[in-house]
Parts: sequence; structure tokens; C-alpha cells
Amino acid sequence: MRFARPVAVAFTAALALVPFVLLGTWSLARSWFWPALLPQSWSFRAWEYVLAPESGVAAALVTSMGIAMLVTLLSVVSAIPAARTLAYHEFAGKRIFLFVLLLPVLALPLASAMGVHGLFLRFGLTENIMGVVLVHLIPAVPYATLMLTGSFSALDRDLEAQARTLGATPLAVWRYVTLPAIAPGLAVASAFAFLISWSQYLMTLLIGGGRVLTLPLTLVAFQRGGDEAITAALCLIFIAPTLFVFSAVAQFVRYEA
Amino acid sequence: MAVLAASACSKPKATLTPAQFEAMPWDEVVAKVRGSEVAFATWTGDEDRNRYFRSRVASDLQNKFGITLRIVPLGDTADAVNKLLNEKGAGKTAGGSIDMIWINGENFRTAKQGNLLWGPFSGRLPNIRLYDDAVGKRDFGTPIEGLEAPWQKSQFVMAYDSGRTPEPPKSIEALRLWIKSHPGRFTYVAPPDFTGSVFIRHILVHLGGRDPGFWTGFDEKLYQRASAAAIAYLNGIKPYLWRRGETYPSTGKELNRLFVNNEVDFAMSYGPSFASVKIAKGEFPKTARTFVFEEGTIGNYNFLAIPFNAGNAAGALVTINELMSFDQIVEITQALGEQFPLSLDRLSAAQRAAVSALPIPVATLSIAELATHFLPEPDADYLTHFEKDWLEKVLRQ
Repeated sequence: MRFARPVAVAFTAALALVPFVLLGTWSLARSWFWPALLPQSWSFRAWEYVLAPESGVAAALVTSMGIAMLVTLLSVVSAIPAARTLAYHEFAGKRIFLFVLLLPVLALPLASAMGVHGLFLRFGLTENIMGVVLVHLIPAVPYATLMLTGSFSALDRDLEAQARTLGATPLAVWRYVTLPAIAPGLAVASAFAFLISWSQYLMTLLIGGGRVLTLPLTLVAFQRGGDEAITAALCLIFIAPTLFVFSAVAQFVRYEA
Repeated sequence: MAVLAASACSKPKATLTPAQFEAMPWDEVVAKVRGSEVAFATWTGDEDRNRYFRSRVASDLQNKFGITLRIVPLGDTADAVNKLLNEKGAGKTAGGSIDMIWINGENFRTAKQGNLLWGPFSGRLPNIRLYDDAVGKRDFGTPIEGLEAPWQKSQFVMAYDSGRTPEPPKSIEALRLWIKSHPGRFTYVAPPDFTGSVFIRHILVHLGGRDPGFWTGFDEKLYQRASAAAIAYLNGIKPYLWRRGETYPSTGKELNRLFVNNEVDFAMSYGPSFASVKIAKGEFPKTARTFVFEEGTIGNYNFLAIPFNAGNAAGALVTINELMSFDQIVEITQALGEQFPLSLDRLSAAQRAAVSALPIPVATLSIAELATHFLPEPDADYLTHFEKDWLEKVLRQ
């Protein structure tokens, strides 16, 4: 029994690693024909292409990162007051409000994409970064709000009231009572908002109009084009920041447990 | 927000209406575009293609005309057509973000029907004279009427491994016999993927005796006769296909995998040099070769068009004309292993000599062999009808 835990950990880690090993091998494979277990020949072709400035991958990475960080910030900032209200107050039509909030998550993005595009066109919000950020906020804000609602529900409001009674300013209450209590939820909500923005394809293509080039746009083109090595290399580049985000969030989640 | 939108389009644009272009000498068009930016919406799923545009084409356009080329990447041309449809609906009639687009077939038909294209223009491009007159007339049966300019040429070929299959079946009937005597070793891509669609179109056109009616609009009687024979053929080979025809690869890429993994013995593509390109990349075995059916294989031209709301139509005209030039065509056919699309009769003696001196990769057929087996695309209505019938009468049988 003493070994059960390490064995389970090792097994899970190995399972999680398999896709990365496969992607890494694909990105370096020149020829890989069945039934060989390993590629017959290797090449750095894919990485050379992906890392070359003229492929535009580095620029797309910077654009994706900037948009995702802005989306994260804006969705968390708008989700905090909304989540607080939803957690602490009962009001007429709350259930309807929750349903409306969930709509962007429930509705198929493809179904709403054309309508959203038409609307954005009328308001001149297409073909620039602000429009893309705005359209990413549509699915990101509901997720962030729902997660933070959970955090606020778990927070005992009396703690805030006690701090106020003891003379703390509203800012101090926020800084020393509320924020530490919702920090894990805040971290998870931020991570979700980041990942939602990070993985958008269709909306970025429609609203960005090809002027805003993010990593998924580059990735999908190669995936459809059938170049396995470059697709694999791009996948690894695409996954790297998400792993970083998850490991950063893991700190908070462990703290909560 | 308005400030951001404006600053994103800081490069000057050379606006032009089709009527203005009609009355303007070509030199004036060229003079108009210096210092402008051209946004080219094109499929970007191929490394060699991207490299050719970002290096060679971009620098030539800059040096010769002062044009800055910007690639708008597309996973699928239909995405851009949908975008234009939406913009039309929303009344965005000027200052669009796409100046030119790589297009053909059904996407062209949709774009033309939706009045999404700028023009007519192609008849007034100086380099149009390098192409056969017939090329610019119809695209999958749809009359072009000057709304797109011919660019590259593709033609269907079958690939096989000469190590595995020394004597491939080179006719529709030989293929049927081969499939029956090699159960499980053949399959084709499922329509509506364009590779699968053109494969079944070969069966339709050849069993229909290559009736001239295939190329002059839709003839219901001809279709009934040909499709009955083609469906009988496809259902006849079905039990002998890979996995007994219960499932089919959904893309050419999947069929390529089955081929290199030795699960089936043939791959197929619209690119006559696809096997050569894949051998060079190490993706196909060195013994891979290609062939065309003795009865001929279907090919088409692909085109360049200008969206109705292009912000820089003049720049697009100059760029399209440059891409159609002899030098660029030689460059792109060499870089990408594409078929040479220009008419040899329209070239100078020196240009003809240069073309015949071009090296032909080992797995690519000669320009002459491909040309003598070239069949144009039948009318697009045959395509849509037969794809539907295939679903009902072959796949679901």
C-alpha cells in the first residue's frame, strides 16, 4: 500500500505525457511509415519554419498573448461586482438573469457567429484588436462570473461586516478580507478567461477579418493543410502558455484545499 | 474605437471603380498603386506556398510597384465568402479588408450569385493573353464574365507505389477489375471533400461516355443515364473496398496516411506533382509514382478575384497581373511543383525553350502527357446532384 500513491502519480504523469511525446516526435519526423514505431528519418524542418520570422508565428504568439491577457483582465474586472451581487442578493428575475448569462455558453458559437459579425460590422468593430477582445469577452465573462459567484457564496459576509465594525475602511476590507478569501476562485476564473480567449478560432477569423492574426488561425491553416510536422510544432507552441497558466493556478487551488 | 479602426488602415489605398478602370490606360493603374497595401486572402496551409509569397512575391511587388503585400490567412476559402456575404448584408460596400482572393468552383459561383465580386476586369489585364482564351470563359461551368482571372492549373492524378504495384490499372474498367481482385486494397475519399468529389465525377463522366452535354449546362436525361451507370459501378466495387466501403477517408490527407501505412495501394490528388512534393519531404516512399486514366482526368484552373468592397482594387489588379506573368508562373510551378498553366502557343520562342528545359520531378508526368489527358470540369450542377446521389444510393446502401 505504501507504493500505491507514487505508482498512481507516476501512472497519471505518464498518461499526461504521452500526447506531448507524440507531438514532439511528429514535429521532428521527416518520414514515419507504418509499421515502424519510430520515424525512419528526422528533420528540424518544422521548427526551422515555425521559428523563422517570415512564418509570422512569433508575431501571432505576441498578438494572442496580448489579446488573452486583456480579455482576462476585463472579464475578471466585470465579473467581480456581478458575481458579488448574484451571491449576496436575491432579486426579481434572478433566475432569468442567470439563464441569459449562460446563453453565450449554451448557444452554439457557429449559430451566433454570423449575427454577431453583422452587428460588429454595423458598429465598426471589425478588423481591429478591440473588436476581437470584445468578441472573446462574450464567452469569457459568463464563465468568470459563474466561478466567482461560487467563491462569493462560500465567503461568510459577516466577516466583512466584522471588519467594518472594527473600523476597517472599505478598501482595507477588500484588501485583507474579501480578496484573500476569493483568491483561489479569482485565479481559476482568470485561467478560464485566458484559455477561452487563447483557443478562439472562428470568432477571431470573422471579427479580426484576417487583420488580427492569432496563433489558432495559423495552427488551423496547417492542420487543414495536412502538414503533420508543422502542425505538431505549432501545437506544442500553442500548449506551452496554457501549461504555464495551469501550473500558476495550481498553487492557489492547493492553497484552497 | 474609431481611432483604432482608422489607425489599423494607415497605409494609403488606391480606390477604383470598375467603370473608372474601363477607361483607364494600364500605365495609369500601375502609377496609382505605388505606396499602397494589398491584402491577399489565400489558403495558408502549405509551408512552401507561404514561403513563396512572403519572400519572392512580397519583394517583387515592393521593388517593381511599391506595393506592400499582406497575406490574410484562410483555412478555407468559403470562410472569406461568408465574410463577404455578411459585409454585403451589413452594407459595408467600401473599404473592405480583403483586396483579392484565391477562388474557384462553387465558391466562385456563390460569390458571383451574391454579387460579391468587383469587375469585370480580367479581360483588361495585359497578361491574360498568356492563357488560352477558353480558360477565362467558364469555371466549373459557371460563366466567368471577367469577374476572376485565371492563375494556376490543377489536374487529377492517382498515386501508387511502384515497389508494391508495378502495373497500376490505368483505365476505369481496369481499375474495377483490379479492385475486385485485390479486396480491401482500394478506397477513395468521401465526397463532398473536393478530392473525393472529383474521383466519383470521373466515374460519372467516363461511364457517361464523355458526352459533350457535360460541359454545356445541366442535361437531366444525360445525368440520369450516366449516374445510373456510375452508381452501379460504385456499388459494384463497394464490397471490395477498404473496410468493405462501410467507411471512407474523409480527406485526401487521410487517404495519404492509409497509402503510406500500406493499408491501401492508391492515393489521389488534384495536384499532379503531389507525390513528388511528398517524396521530397519524406512523406511518401521514394518509389511512389503517379498516373492518369487513359480516358483522361479532370482538371481545372483556379482564379484570382477582387471582392466588391476591396479597399485597394487598383493594387489588386496590378498584383494579379504580376502573379500571372511568365516569370512568376515559372517560379511558382518550380517552387510548389504545380502544373504549368500558360498556353505554350502564346509564349515567345525563348520562353518556350525555358519551359521545356524545366526539370520534371520523377513522380510527376510530363506537361505533354498531362495536357493530352486533360478534361475540363463538367458543369457544377452535375457535381451537386451526384454528390447527393452518392450519399443516398452508395454510402447509405
